[in-house]
Amino acid sequence: MPMATSEYTTAALATNKEGWVRLQSTDGFSYLVKRKVAQASGTIRNMLDPEGGYAEALNGVCEIQERGIIVEKLVEYMSFKTYYESINTKDEIPLNEFLERIPPEIILELYVSRLDVL
Amino acid sequence: MSRNNVRGPTSALTEFLRASGITPSTIASRAATRNQQRAEEQPVAGPSRAANVEEAEPETTERRRRPRRRASGYASDELDEPEGEAVDEDAMDVDEEEEKPTPAKKRKLTKAAEAKLKAKEKKKRGKKDDDEDYEDDEEEDAYTALSRNMMKNAASKPPIGSFEKCAVCGKQFTVTKYTMASGSGGGFLCHNCAKAGGNDPFKKPAVPKKRKAPADKRTVTNFEEKRFPTLVSLCIQLITKHINDIDALGDIGSMNVEAISKALSKNRSLTQENVHLFYNPANASLALFDATNLPSPALETLAYHNANLVSLRLDFCGHLDDTAFKVFSTSLPALKRIELLGPFLVRSPAWQEFFKSHPILEGFLITQSPRFDDECIKALVKNCPDITDLRLKEVGKLDDSFLDQIKLFKRGLSYLDLSDPSHSCSEKAMIALIRAVGKTLTHLNVSNHTDLGDQFLAKGLLPHVKTLESLVLSHLPELTDSGVSEFFENWTRNNPLTSMDISRNETLTGISLNSILNHSGDGLLELNINGLKDVEEEALRKIGPTCPALRKLNVGFCRCVDDFVIKAWLEGEVDKGVGSGFCSRLEELKVWGCNKVTLSCPKKKGVSIFGVEFHRAR
Repeated sequence: MPMATSEYTTAALATNKEGWVRLQSTDGFSYLVKRKVAQASGTIRNMLDPEGGYAEALNGVCEIQERGIIVEKLVEYMSFKTYYESINTKDEIPLNEFLERIPPEIILELYVSRLDVL
Repeated sequence: MSRNNVRGPTSALTEFLRASGITPSTIASRAATRNQQRAEEQPVAGPSRAANVEEAEPETTERRRRPRRRASGYASDELDEPEGEAVDEDAMDVDEEEEKPTPAKKRKLTKAAEAKLKAKEKKKRGKKDDDEDYEDDEEEDAYTALSRNMMKNAASKPPIGSFEKCAVCGKQFTVTKYTMASGSGGGFLCHNCAKAGGNDPFKKPAVPKKRKAPADKRTVTNFEEKRFPTLVSLCIQLITKHINDIDALGDIGSMNVEAISKALSKNRSLTQENVHLFYNPANASLALFDATNLPSPALETLAYHNANLVSLRLDFCGHLDDTAFKVFSTSLPALKRIELLGPFLVRSPAWQEFFKSHPILEGFLITQSPRFDDECIKALVKNCPDITDLRLKEVGKLDDSFLDQIKLFKRGLSYLDLSDPSHSCSEKAMIALIRAVGKTLTHLNVSNHTDLGDQFLAKGLLPHVKTLESLVLSHLPELTDSGVSEFFENWTRNNPLTSMDISRNETLTGISLNSILNHSGDGLLELNINGLKDVEEEALRKIGPTCPALRKLNVGFCRCVDDFVIKAWLEGEVDKGVGSGFCSRLEELKVWGCNKVTLSCPKKKGVSIFGVEFHRAR
């Protein structure tokens, strides 16, 4: 569901490491994710890097040139990755659970869309 | 006491001390003496002269005490009865136990604590010390402090199982693992006395933790295992899983097959399992950008499953051998264009057979083949008269005789790429070739034919080429500024080029660039002047106003490129006003090796700038 754009103070977002960022798909869906999660993707990390001087770094909104469903899966993967990378266990990562959540019909699109490093 | 005379290496200081008769045991007993004296002094108010005198002679005291404690047969020393010490030994020892901290405790004292103790002692003993002579000062110095090491040395135990007399009660006892040294320096305690002294003989010796701790802490991470799979690898897993049910993957036709192929090739993940994704008998064209992991049988399968291919492109097809290539010859009747990168294993007869079976071939483009020889080019010319696109790039055997054959293509070549041979063709043969085929050429690449010089431009290209769109003259060291500029100034019969690559000609300067811009500036979409190190800033700035349509620009290693030049390209000259004189459609700018370009170089939406040295590698 598209969310209403709320006003963020630019400076606060640029400095706030714990803040949230908005990932926007081409068809009007937007996802609010923790900055840390978003930075799991190299591309988004560069977008949000205050040193890079991109508009995304200032307003905390990244436009992802993909459909909503694709962005959703990307966000899902980023959260998944951030979570399992931060816990330092030798436990098996429940990959299959994640794989099962990807419908086959979007695999190729997801594959082609991947945001670097992801 | 150990009677072993074997000693390990010692420091100069230890050697000196030993020579002066100072050993750990003497110091230990000296300290013990002092403690004892203190015990004796306690009842006496304030320091006495006598005590001081006695202290000035520690050696005698020590010598006297040692034998008694150790019960050695050094009886003669016992005659040396000092003045102030006529106390009964037993009584003294009891005093000692009361006054002193227990040995175990004492051992635990740090050096700093010991120094403090000493200072206290000194204070207690009063002001007399101040005017004490040198000897006394020495007596007071830190050397008398019992270091842990010394205590250890002093307490070096006799062998387990031997007999020893207790330092306190004088009884003989058997030395065991748990036997403890008497706190007062020499001698050892029997089990009972050790217990009575408040020590647990069975207590495990303190492990020297300090040494081990840093070793534990230093965990050097040599490499980090990347446990987390990338999304890409997950997708590939899924694709491979669903490969037999391709419909589940959705309608591939609606998507850009080439994009998927490129993505799959990006990390060498195209395998013989998932390559089926791209197979379809109805396919007219197929491009696999990294066929490294496709073995020869998989390539045969490719030919069988895509029988109607008109155009085929295989990059890194190192596994393509004679057997697979023969299948190409027999099973791809409609093939008109074939593009191969790295078909090393295909031998001359297989090439010739392929040409015989494909008379309708129009495009033959190969890169890197050491086995493509004179016979092959003859067969190609003979069997495939319709060839318009020819690429023999990095073909080891390319020489003048090839050129003579290439002249014979009847249809008229439009694309000709003969770049990067092992040995340069001669200028004369190349001019002759251009004379024969130049009329129809739209794309020409003669890079790295190092024998080609200005004459090639003047006598080859200038009179015979008039429809060229793309010209690559990379690494032709014989070219000179005057030759290049003269050529472009006079080449008016040819329309402006859309793509010009004159990279790696380091002798060329802004004069050449100027002439190129004057000739082709209006039409140029791509310009590569990588390695033209001496191009002046003025000429570089001219790119902006003269090339309004430029999409890609490579100015690597041009030394004059800096932030301001880039700004001029992206935004136009300031004094001319915005909106005029800049590359408004620029998409890609490569500035590798331009070390004047800094982090603050201008950016513009839609323009990717590659190779800024100041950009952090992430």
